[in-house]
Amino acid sequence: MKWALAALFLAGVVLVVAGLPLGQPLPDRAARFGGGLRVLPMTFSHSSHFGKPCAACHHEFADRTIGPPCMTCHVTDHRVAPLLETQFHDLCQSCHLDESAAGRPSGPTRRCIACHLDDQAF
Amino acid sequence: MLLAGLILAVAALADPWRAGGAFWDFGNAIGFVALAGLIFQMIPAPRGPPRPHERLGYWVLGVTLLHAFWFLAGDAAARFYLLPGGPLHMWLGLAAVLLLAGLSILARMPDRLRLHPSYRHFRKLHRHLALACLAAALLHVLLSGFYLPHGWQGAGLVALALICAFGRLRPQVAAVPAYLMAGGATVALFVLIREVAL
Repeated sequence: MKWALAALFLAGVVLVVAGLPLGQPLPDRAARFGGGLRVLPMTFSHSSHFGKPCAACHHEFADRTIGPPCMTCHVTDHRVAPLLETQFHDLCQSCHLDESAAGRPSGPTRRCIACHLDDQAF
Repeated sequence: MLLAGLILAVAALADPWRAGGAFWDFGNAIGFVALAGLIFQMIPAPRGPPRPHERLGYWVLGVTLLHAFWFLAGDAAARFYLLPGGPLHMWLGLAAVLLLAGLSILARMPDRLRLHPSYRHFRKLHRHLALACLAAALLHVLLSGFYLPHGWQGAGLVALALICAFGRLRPQVAAVPAYLMAGGATVALFVLIREVAL
């Protein structure tokens, strides 16, 4: 039994380090969005969010901090870059969860790979 | 009966309005069944053959491993949570799996006798390791904060675990088929409530 568990543990380490080589795209952590921070890719479609208030995400419309594309600030500004994951998970997931709880089409609420895919049109 | 009720009670604490998609809900339902099995195993078991506590322990370990590999194999981005920089609750989950594996290996004959000639000494160490494993598993669930976002849900789960671990409950034994049947029904309910009823 201990050898079977050791083999499983090894398989788990391989899966964590290399990812599953079959059947699905493998996202990678890399410098993206014009910054040096190594982050996962993100997919987002404006068209599927049609009807939502723009300022729900685009705080720069309200606080008049117009500048580079939104993600560039979030990966280069030392005040917010460390919060990138928390802020975006909270922002996207909370809205998706509210929609899901209301029984409306919600988009992903939990599955990591549903959002962390390359999206050239971000 | 107690085991079946415990599995249902643990799963029922999770917020039914929170759905993560069928894939995610299924994987986490398995995790809740594993946690319920672990909590049940904390109730002192009578000694002697045919060692139902030991047999159930292997199944709890198997269900726990299924929970872990389900996500690693089915979601290519989940692995980043077990790489450096991953959140604390995932490291605690990994610690719980490793402790559970250690509990099973170290309690297995004849290795157990080689390591612990004294049953009393073995039982004490086994109990302490199990408490550490339970604490890590509970923190893994509570800190991930998805299915149990409210304080009362977490408190309910911790209370259940404490009652089973330290309450003066009669020593319990449970058959593996009861665990698998109650667990299977709970997984089905957990997923259907979120994916179909909504």
